[in-house]
Amino acid sequence: MSGKGLVDAERRRFNRWALAPSLIVLFMIAGLPAIYLVVTSLTPFQLVNPGSSTDFSSPLRNYRLLPDDPRFVNSLWVQAKLSFWGVLFQVLLGMLLALLLHTQSRVVEFARTFFLIPMVLPPIVVAIIWKLIYTPDISPLYYAAGLLNIALPSLTSSVDFALTAIIIADTWEWLPFTFLMVLAALQTIPDEFSEAALVDGANRLQIFFYITLPFITPILVISGMFRLIDSVKAFPLVFLLTGGGPGSVTEVTNYYAYLLAFDFNEIGYSSSVTIVMLLLVVAVSLGVVWMGRRREAMA
Amino acid sequence: MTKKNSSHKSAAVSRRTLLQAGAATIGAAAFPMPVIAQTKPFAGVTLRGASFQHRFFTLLQNYIPEFEAQTGMKVDLQLSAFPVYNQQANLELSSGGSAFDFVNVTFILAARWVAAGLLANLDEFTGDPNLTPAEWKPKDFVEGAQVPYRDAKGATYGYSWEGGAMVMGLSRMDLMEKRGLKIPKTFAELEQVCAAMNGADNVNGIVSFQLHHWCLPPYIQGFGGNIFRNPPADIMPTLNSPEAVQAIEFYANLLKNYAPKGVLTYTEDQARQSLLTGRSNIFIHSSAWITPILMSGDSKVKDTSRVVRMPAGPARDCPAANSQGLGIPKNAKNKKAAWEFIKWALSPEISMRLVKEHGHSSVCRKSVIASEEYRRLNTINGQDLGALYLEVLGLPAKGENYMAYRTVKEFPIVGDVLNKAFEQVATGQLPAQAAMNAAQEQAIANMRRAGTAL
Repeated sequence: MSGKGLVDAERRRFNRWALAPSLIVLFMIAGLPAIYLVVTSLTPFQLVNPGSSTDFSSPLRNYRLLPDDPRFVNSLWVQAKLSFWGVLFQVLLGMLLALLLHTQSRVVEFARTFFLIPMVLPPIVVAIIWKLIYTPDISPLYYAAGLLNIALPSLTSSVDFALTAIIIADTWEWLPFTFLMVLAALQTIPDEFSEAALVDGANRLQIFFYITLPFITPILVISGMFRLIDSVKAFPLVFLLTGGGPGSVTEVTNYYAYLLAFDFNEIGYSSSVTIVMLLLVVAVSLGVVWMGRRREAMA
Repeated sequence: MTKKNSSHKSAAVSRRTLLQAGAATIGAAAFPMPVIAQTKPFAGVTLRGASFQHRFFTLLQNYIPEFEAQTGMKVDLQLSAFPVYNQQANLELSSGGSAFDFVNVTFILAARWVAAGLLANLDEFTGDPNLTPAEWKPKDFVEGAQVPYRDAKGATYGYSWEGGAMVMGLSRMDLMEKRGLKIPKTFAELEQVCAAMNGADNVNGIVSFQLHHWCLPPYIQGFGGNIFRNPPADIMPTLNSPEAVQAIEFYANLLKNYAPKGVLTYTEDQARQSLLTGRSNIFIHSSAWITPILMSGDSKVKDTSRVVRMPAGPARDCPAANSQGLGIPKNAKNKKAAWEFIKWALSPEISMRLVKEHGHSSVCRKSVIASEEYRRLNTINGQDLGALYLEVLGLPAKGENYMAYRTVKEFPIVGDVLNKAFEQVATGQLPAQAAMNAAQEQAIANMRRAGTAL
């Protein structure tokens, strides 16, 4: 082996040893609980049933029960609606806002900072803010509607509006994230492209569709994917605003898993719900990445 | 000579000192130490306990230094939010941990914990005169409040510190009288009063909150139905009985037609506030949430309010009752010290002090509730709240224990299904019969999945 090869081998060995402590810590804090979750999902574990945590007599029992559980199936559907509309609004509005605020001005800089506030608030505070907004007898929204003689229904206890109410609150909270991502992408586009297009007689819409959009598409896909993964964690909003109701209209999968574990005491079954949800999120995320790559390859 | 004398004197002192020291040592060994041990029997013990945050414990914390001074032990009481505490206690007890020496036995979890054998049998403590003096009187606790803490054989696993008796608060008796309305005594009258009061003068007929599996069962039982067929022996759900369907329809109509907009997502605080400000005329809930209309400084309707029995149904009269208790985990390290704390915290003396010094009225000692002092403090506008409280709290222990449904460990599963079904009816997603048929099916399926043989 040449001297350079020896140095490279030495460096690789050093890198492995240097990384080992971090990997061990990462495995312990992320890997072990995940493995325990999988193991638990293979048992009928109930807190008040001693021995049930090590009962592997029918390991797939929980998974077999899932398709026949109407609340679980409904929760997936609710989650899909919440994720789809939430991510769509957040990406589109974030992009629109970024395009509007992609200029140099002190006022705009202040506005950018202002738009970041919802994202940095603790999720439970966001939920409380929206609880106040949605409560008819104390809400400024209802007060303003009253002044305009508009009769608003109760948004969080209405079958037709409850999920929309959560989507609106979720969008308000996470819009700044997509806004920031797109704004950063816009700032990397060289001005020469749009200047040349203007000289060639392109209008603003054509510049957007043929120059800006292709540049920011990867960022839109990435932020959409991040938000998609995060959208399954809209727990505080559901917990505080609707409690999954009315009926099961806003009962998303992780809220159902929470109820199963902590209200009904079915830890094993709840774990299987969580595992299925995790697999679905991974599958959808991979699908989004695959579509993004395919689009890039075609371009 | 001087030196010799001096030496002699020194030797004499030495002997005397030695004798004195010896006598003191023997005396100290024979008498003073046991005396110290008797006055500070738990010196050096740190007692760890946990509960959810409640006014009772906030008030009790004022007295805990006295208890620590009496016993020599240190009390480390951890208070958390209700759901957080319940999750923590569930995990701790079921994993057989010994982190806590005493715990709150939460009403909704009591049956589960007692049935699973996670708590110590307190009869072993009350039955031992060395541990429990006769004047502590275990039978002095309100019988209805003690029901959840007993197993099938009658052994006791908790003693109640809080009793919740379902009563009806009316905030605008002035408007009712003006319209010639009387206090409703039946479900039919309740609906009439709600209809007559709703809408005018910015007052809603009735208010409630989102815990329907607490508010709704008295209506189901009032119409002659139940949650289970014959709890706790026969726990087959009976959610789609004609009586249950009738009840859910009745209660849903009350809330749909006469309650504030958005009532389905109201918390207890929101509902209480609506009553205290006179925005809603009627609220039926535990006495602790209702009596503030007469007693709280926040109440804007003190002079126009009444607190009475909730109306009776056409078939039965079943106002709900609940309680919270203190118990000792089976694997607690300091069981005797924990019992000392429970004995002290729930003694008639501390209960009376809570009533007299802080106006905390939901204690569970019959002797306190029946006392002149309690009656004097809790008789407001001519209404004897203590008598009302004792009457409602004692009802489940008289004749049929109609609150037995709540002590069944499967109740949380069925209660949740009931909540969902009610919301479906109240929002018009399903007619009452269809919702309750689905609820019945769902309850059975969930119970079977959780391992209950039906």
